[in-house]
Amino acid sequence: MRGNDVVLSDVSMRFGDFTAVHPTDLTVREGEFFSILGPSGCGKTTILRMISGFLDPSSGGIAIGGVPMAGLGPNRRPTALIFQNLALFPLMTVWENVAFGLEARGVPIVERKRRASELLSLVALDDQGHKKPTELSGGQRQRVAVARALAVEPAVLLLDEPLSALDLKLRQHMRAELKDIQRRTGVTFIYITHDQGEALTMSDRIAVMNQGRVQQVGTGDEIYDRPATPFVATFVGEQNVFQGRVTATNDGQAVVDTAVGPLRGTSQGTLSIGDEALLFVRPERVSLMNGATASPDNRIDAEVERRDLEGSFVNLHLRAGNHPISVHLTNAGSGRDVVSGGQRVSFQADDAVVMRAGEFARE
Amino acid sequence: MSDLIRIYGKSLTTIFLGLTALWIVALIVVPQLRMIERAFVVDRYSDEAARVGVEINRSYTRVFTIDQELDRAAAGPTAPTAPSPFSPSPSSAKPSTPSAFATPSASSGGAVSTDPDRTATLKAEKAELQARIAELEVREKEVKAGGTGYALGNFTSMSAIHAKIFLSTLMYALCVTILAFLACYPVAYAVATSRSSERVALLMLGLVIPYAINELLRIFSWIMILEKHGVLNRLLDSLGLIDLAAGEGMRFVASNGAVFAVMVYAYILFMVFPIYNTIETLDRNQIEAARDLGASTWRIHWRVVLPHAKPGIAVGAVMTFMLSAGSIAAPEIVGRGLHPDWFSQVIYQRFFESNNWNQGSAYALVLLVACVVFVLGVMGLFKVGIRDIAK
Repeated sequence: MRGNDVVLSDVSMRFGDFTAVHPTDLTVREGEFFSILGPSGCGKTTILRMISGFLDPSSGGIAIGGVPMAGLGPNRRPTALIFQNLALFPLMTVWENVAFGLEARGVPIVERKRRASELLSLVALDDQGHKKPTELSGGQRQRVAVARALAVEPAVLLLDEPLSALDLKLRQHMRAELKDIQRRTGVTFIYITHDQGEALTMSDRIAVMNQGRVQQVGTGDEIYDRPATPFVATFVGEQNVFQGRVTATNDGQAVVDTAVGPLRGTSQGTLSIGDEALLFVRPERVSLMNGATASPDNRIDAEVERRDLEGSFVNLHLRAGNHPISVHLTNAGSGRDVVSGGQRVSFQADDAVVMRAGEFARE
Repeated sequence: MSDLIRIYGKSLTTIFLGLTALWIVALIVVPQLRMIERAFVVDRYSDEAARVGVEINRSYTRVFTIDQELDRAAAGPTAPTAPSPFSPSPSSAKPSTPSAFATPSASSGGAVSTDPDRTATLKAEKAELQARIAELEVREKEVKAGGTGYALGNFTSMSAIHAKIFLSTLMYALCVTILAFLACYPVAYAVATSRSSERVALLMLGLVIPYAINELLRIFSWIMILEKHGVLNRLLDSLGLIDLAAGEGMRFVASNGAVFAVMVYAYILFMVFPIYNTIETLDRNQIEAARDLGASTWRIHWRVVLPHAKPGIAVGAVMTFMLSAGSIAAPEIVGRGLHPDWFSQVIYQRFFESNNWNQGSAYALVLLVACVVFVLGVMGLFKVGIRDIAK
């Protein structure tokens, strides 16, 4: 364990009969950009509020930098929270907002002004200090909230979906900016979001949650390529799903007998022959054979139903019998050919994941 | 205007506007103008005029008393018919205005069975009084003719005692306002930030129920609590802090403290609701954000909640101040004349005891102006505009 790791040991939260968070172990390393990703109501905000001290866990304990946080109020923890609606103080000027945490610590006004202007230049708002928050644009307010939270020099910055109120362009811009601020300050960020794009682009590691349980913790690539549960597989990114029974297993691979024939994929679990299983393969990992001679692991004959142009991508919707298959092609090479009629599509076993049947993410 | 016509049609709009105009003119503009006018009317013979006026009033009262006695005498023999209250009895048919005495019908019917001497005496006295009234009314006209004019006399003649009462009343009203704020802010904050709606409903009910009771009854109930053998002293007695039997009961009533307490209680809703309304609109995340940034409870209130609640506090302060500065029931009943007067009592005395309506109007105007100045001062101090208050 390093300096300011955040460690949740067996933490759970119950509200009456409702269990918002089932007993959870989680370690966030110092200096990490860590995202908690999940649909609304999955318990991610509850975890955030327990770390920040607004909620006391029903069981288990939270330690930051090895110091147990039990009994410490939010004003006495080395954390700072950025609220979903930012919660800037509308009656104070921008610099007073930024310096509020210092004011609360009794820092003299000259020092407060100096620190506030430093932080405002960190977030590129040098000359906006005298304005009221309502006079700023959405993105600027966002940066004020970051500066205000960083002013108290927290070990951990907690962000509760702070970008959800922004429009798409600004949101993408702010992702890069937040990541940049995190890298420059070296502060641990714990970022709550239901937007997989945000989580994948910014995070060093991601925890995917559903119904009060952490389903998987890993880097973005791990989550995307090696989902641990059907929920993670379907919540993050798009998938072609094939259902069937396992007919053979060997060497970390399994063969599933599906409606479109036997398909082979990698399996990381303990699947045995006869189990109900699901095979997932990403649409961009499926390709058109177009008379290629190489022999792929899996082949499916299907009819093209529709071709959607998405700009840099072309989405093909095919149908193999009654089973829909989605294929994403880059808008270059074979993707530029307008295809129709019968096609043979293929994918490698390495690109497909087989796992025991379970709950999907709801659309 | 055209919007109104579009929505409600011409006739309804006319009715609305007419009623509004009537309300504004008849209930606000005219009485205020009349009061202001009277405040500046100086009766140059005011001493004599007042004496004459008082004497005329007394004479009329005496005539009325005699008249009633005569009526009773007249009604005496017809007593058996009394059970029927609907039969036209002389007493009920008799108008009490002086003009009615020109034909004293009472004497013709009932003088027979009662003491004729007594009746005769009364009649004589009445005739004498009526002559005197006529004489006085003539005199009053003389005294007043050319004797009035517009001047500042009603204001400049305010005695030092009255001026002192005026200033201390403003101070007292300010004290009541501050006490009411101190009592109301925590309640308003607790109710506004409470998460359970049932508790909010209960608290609100508890605050509103006392207002279902008439204000006078509320004041009397406070006297029951505060008086020498009242609830509070008995409580102290049962706690062994004082010995009632030995006459150690504390005199709570007729002190400023008692008047303040009663007034704070009487006007608490006017302070609680505006503050509650503004605090309720405060984003709770702001309170949490302040806490998260390390602020103490005091600082959260001082920097976040209070600034946000300012318009509500201003409204509450203005209402409480105006009501308590103009209050008459509480100082009159709780004070029992033993504690320093409030200015409203002085005004009342000007009108109904000294019979000096002009000076009464002047005093009332002074109080009104003082209150308006206070309102503007509070708004300036809190940097809130009329618009904020309207919100």
